[in-house]
Amino acid sequence: MSKTIYELVDELPTDGMTVKALNALDFVVPGQWQNLTGFTNTISAVTGETDDAMIQAIGERAVYLYNDSSQGYQRAMWLYNTVDSAAGALGAAALANKIGQDISFLGFLGNLTPKPEKAQSLDLAVKLVVELVAFCQINGIPGDSIGDFLAALGDYGGESLMRMAALVCYDGLIPLGGGFIEKGMASITQTSPDELQKNQTFKGVSDLIPGGNPAGQLGFITQSFDSVKGWMGDFVSSRNLTQQSVLSHLSQVIQVSADKLDYVGAFLDVSVKYYTHTGTQTLARRLIERAVAEL
Amino acid sequence: MRNSVPMFKHWQRSLLGLLLTVVLLITGCQQAQAPDRFAQAQQDSSKPGVTAVAKDATQGSQFNKYFPKPGAGYERVYTQEKKGFSEAALKKDGKEVAKLSISDTSSLPAAAAKYENSTQTIAGYPAITMGKTQTSVLVGKYQVKVLARDPNFSQAEREQWISKFDLKGLSKLKT
Repeated sequence: MSKTIYELVDELPTDGMTVKALNALDFVVPGQWQNLTGFTNTISAVTGETDDAMIQAIGERAVYLYNDSSQGYQRAMWLYNTVDSAAGALGAAALANKIGQDISFLGFLGNLTPKPEKAQSLDLAVKLVVELVAFCQINGIPGDSIGDFLAALGDYGGESLMRMAALVCYDGLIPLGGGFIEKGMASITQTSPDELQKNQTFKGVSDLIPGGNPAGQLGFITQSFDSVKGWMGDFVSSRNLTQQSVLSHLSQVIQVSADKLDYVGAFLDVSVKYYTHTGTQTLARRLIERAVAEL
Repeated sequence: MRNSVPMFKHWQRSLLGLLLTVVLLITGCQQAQAPDRFAQAQQDSSKPGVTAVAKDATQGSQFNKYFPKPGAGYERVYTQEKKGFSEAALKKDGKEVAKLSISDTSSLPAAAAKYENSTQTIAGYPAITMGKTQTSVLVGKYQVKVLARDPNFSQAEREQWISKFDLKGLSKLKT
């Protein structure tokens, strides 16, 4: 049986590679992300309520809402989980016996294969679309509503904004460099529906990507990326982000070497599960906000 | 064991056994309590046919037009629009100060039942203050709630924002 929502939130790590990598991005979105873990803890932090009976009532309603599969929350959780594990699937087997440990980059280098630029670009685009679809599932907006997502993106904060910062930095800037938006766009437009179907990350989540068939899904991915590229460009330029600046902050918390840059992206793919981590936090927040309002 | 027999009289051994049982019971309960406090809700909500949202609940998109208009330094950002529920963040100077919501209580009858004991009204509708952050009214089967997100957002402000909803319009919503 899959885990309950309170187990998922209770089991969020308080340290480890993912938490370290996210903390390293505090300079990108200062003060936006605190690693909020624990279900009852999250209820108090989100609602400001401290009474135990009130917390119990809110938590119970949140459990009901999560378990009602028609409400889309479980689909969003599945998306966040799957996109993380699919992107890192190649090195995951080698990593399996090191769960919960901090893995040394150099010690793990032999198990890593750098991804070709095209696959990396597709990963970035697919992850972006996953954010869009999960957003729609959680907030109840039709799944292909790019316009609503764009409007909301401007208002992203907290762990949601941190997730986008990690997307831009760890799936954009680090593996693809400063021109990642153009490279991404160029790669997608040169991709055939057949190639898309072979991409590991896409395969994992394709069931929930709008478009009807691979060609339609490719169209949806292209359209989404094209719509969000302006936002990503502003995000990078307004913060003066470069591959170098991100790498230098990352190397303060995780030992990575700049001369093996090809491998850093692959290493992050297998060791940092930022979609699952911050996605669980977003989902918990939304469930709790709804639960307390409905009581 | 044989050596221990002379050390304890019969009643002492019984008492020791009883004490051990009590200790085990207490520690056992304590360990179980924290992780299991939502287990009953988990079990009940996982039963076949159990849903969290009533089948005939009004779509959240129908609620949006009854929300207070932004202005006078306040920004309104819609955040959730689900079946039976709609919610917006109320912001001042870019900072969230409250959440505004409308929900259909047909999904959660207890939410409506609590107004039976209400002695307070806002704009003529039965009102309730709950917890430290929540003020709400019941309009037909719909609950309108304002939840403070900034500790300085007072109860008086919550009541004021409730009356800024188009409550009359909402009372005529038929679905």
